[in-house]
Amino acid sequence: MTARAESSSNDRPPRPSIAARTEFFERIRTEMGKTRGLFSARPAARPPRPAEAIETVQRQIAERWRETAQRFQREFERVGGVFHRAATIKDVPDVIGGIARERKASRVVTWNPAALGPDLGPDLVARGLCVDVVAGGNPGDVERARVRGVSAVADLGLTGVDVAIAETGTLVLRSGAGRPRSTSLLPPTHVAVFDPTALIESIAQLGLLLEAWHVPAPADGGWGGMITLITGPSRTADIELTLTRGVHGPKEVHAVFVEAPFRG
Amino acid sequence: MSEPDLAVPLRRRAEQALGDRFLRRALDTATTKFLELRRESFGDFPEGETLRDRAREIKEATLQALDRHLERLVEAIERRGGHVHYATTDEEARRIVLDIAKRAGAKTVVKSKSMATEEIHLNAALEAAGVTPIETDLGEYIIQLAHERPSHIIAPAIHKTRGQVAELFSKALGRPGLPDDPEVLTRVAREELREKFLRADMGITGANFAVADTGTIVLVTNEGNGRMATSLPRVHVAVMGLEKVVPTMSDLVVFLAILARSATGQRLSVYTTLVQGPRRPGELDGPDEFHLVLMDNGRTRQIAGTLREALYCLRCGACLNVCPVYRQIGGHAYGYTYPGPIGILLTSMLNGPGAVKDLAHASSLCGACVDACPVRIDIPRMLIELRKEVAERRIAPWTERTVFGAFARVLERPALYRRAVRAARALQRPFARQGRIARLPALFSHWTKTRDLPAVAERTFRERWAELAREDASGSGTRP
Ligand code: SF4
Repeated sequence: MTARAESSSNDRPPRPSIAARTEFFERIRTEMGKTRGLFSARPAARPPRPAEAIETVQRQIAERWRETAQRFQREFERVGGVFHRAATIKDVPDVIGGIARERKASRVVTWNPAALGPDLGPDLVARGLCVDVVAGGNPGDVERARVRGVSAVADLGLTGVDVAIAETGTLVLRSGAGRPRSTSLLPPTHVAVFDPTALIESIAQLGLLLEAWHVPAPADGGWGGMITLITGPSRTADIELTLTRGVHGPKEVHAVFVEAPFRG
Repeated sequence: MSEPDLAVPLRRRAEQALGDRFLRRALDTATTKFLELRRESFGDFPEGETLRDRAREIKEATLQALDRHLERLVEAIERRGGHVHYATTDEEARRIVLDIAKRAGAKTVVKSKSMATEEIHLNAALEAAGVTPIETDLGEYIIQLAHERPSHIIAPAIHKTRGQVAELFSKALGRPGLPDDPEVLTRVAREELREKFLRADMGITGANFAVADTGTIVLVTNEGNGRMATSLPRVHVAVMGLEKVVPTMSDLVVFLAILARSATGQRLSVYTTLVQGPRRPGELDGPDEFHLVLMDNGRTRQIAGTLREALYCLRCGACLNVCPVYRQIGGHAYGYTYPGPIGILLTSMLNGPGAVKDLAHASSLCGACVDACPVRIDIPRMLIELRKEVAERRIAPWTERTVFGAFARVLERPALYRRAVRAARALQRPFARQGRIARLPALFSHWTKTRDLPAVAERTFRERWAELAREDASGSGTRP
């Protein structure tokens, strides 16, 4: 509701009538009544304690993360991503500087340091890049407009990663304070930085995580309204099935994997 | 290809398509490629078969408690400040969306590929109300500029050559002399559409899934237009058939693991976007308003109807790619929003069986679609039931009624059917060319002239049916 208070539209959004809703559900129940007992209904089992389960999984992966990281690299490259390795977070600005130089990129927009983990801004500026850092906390309309503007013209978007799925080479990013959706979407090059603590093996494990992230009902804790799974650069094959990259989202996605954990 | 006219009989539409050499080549290349990719991706995925069974079970179980899951979905969305609307008919769905657009003062709307909004012909309604809809999926954008309709669920502009696209862009976008290079044309589309994304007041999308537990709408795209439409405009409206709900996140990942594999052979599509209501405090982008339009439009009637199983459909397009009829005539010849084998069933669901009196016969019942379908929807069984329905009401053309009336009678008498199939196998030999029957003599000629029947499948429908019956009897089968 708070979000709606900031709305620029002068009118309240339309509300459905209670009658429409009741009628809608009545019709469904009537039809369902006709089939009772005719079909098997084996409801899906939900993991009882997803948070604990995924914690165990991640602890196990942490012990043999090299294997998982290798698998991630293989799959990420298979879907057209570019994989980089860095020993520590201190080496990352050089990696990013290199990516930027090769692409003649000068303007960088980055998640807030609180969301990213480290503050890479000064080191990137020292490498001749023009860096826009988005605000954390709960800024107003002015910062929103600014971020939109700088993201639309940036050459490179720098984000963290909440989870990296080895099986599919997928980066999972949650939106929230200091972590706009558009940083990984509008610039032609997306660079994502993460460490072994982000690794999971499979889509099945992602299921556990998604359960864990929502149980108990999310205390909003700075999390936003979107979770994005990114598996390679934006692509289309809509013209004569010719694979073309970067139709709407980034043409390039880079994963910078930092071997020494830098997140809490 | 120009737009087919529904006043033109199906047979003629199919003949036109068959006469279009580029279309046939394009269809063949595309569907074959999709099939190969699909086969490869399931080849190195041994758990795929189990997951398909699992996915089917989830769909079945969800329908059994549909009211409860929808209520939980609504509750979760409203808890997050989103709004849910209820559309019983296509007309109501259009009115709801127009109303939201009007109140939001929306002039420009960006759309992300959504069969649900195609189904209700939303664009025409928006235009009539002075709102400009812009399709942003590259394929959809192309056909919107060309004033055509999608010819494939996941590759809507499959019927256009690069030359045609270059010419179209040159003319429609006022950029004369564009080369017929997909790379260049895609870049042009990016520039044009980027501009629109940043200016649009409202984003309209479909939804591949909705998770009841968490009030999450899930969009799967490769281009990123779904992310744009849900991140940049100040209002996001998702239009969704009510059957798309799944109970939990654990269920969702089962579908994610098989959907892209079935559609394009990818393990996951490039972008899977989980939308949970409007922008939250602290977020620097995302819409002020989020609306979900829950759409019935003939679906509820099928919960206890002939077409119940069609409610499991994920719209992956796999059944189109394997269908010998679709591969020959393409999407437009079907004449409605949803093409291919599943499209016949969905058209009947939306428009009544009268609408498919011809279409119900545009299938050879070879069963390839069931094998390809990620949730193993038994399309041939439902087609036969539809044909019966159509024949009983005497709304089919005379010869087809005779053939399929006979077919249905034969089906019910196993010995007769076996004899008929043996006869057909023997009969077709002189007429079969490379596994396809180009012509059948006498009684069947009217039918095969436009249909290029595939040679009788190795496993006949009857044999498959017997297998199903055994599975059911042993209790291990999951088919109703
Ligand atoms: S019927 Fe099955 S194969 Fe066809 S589109 Fe639907 S889910 Fe895909």
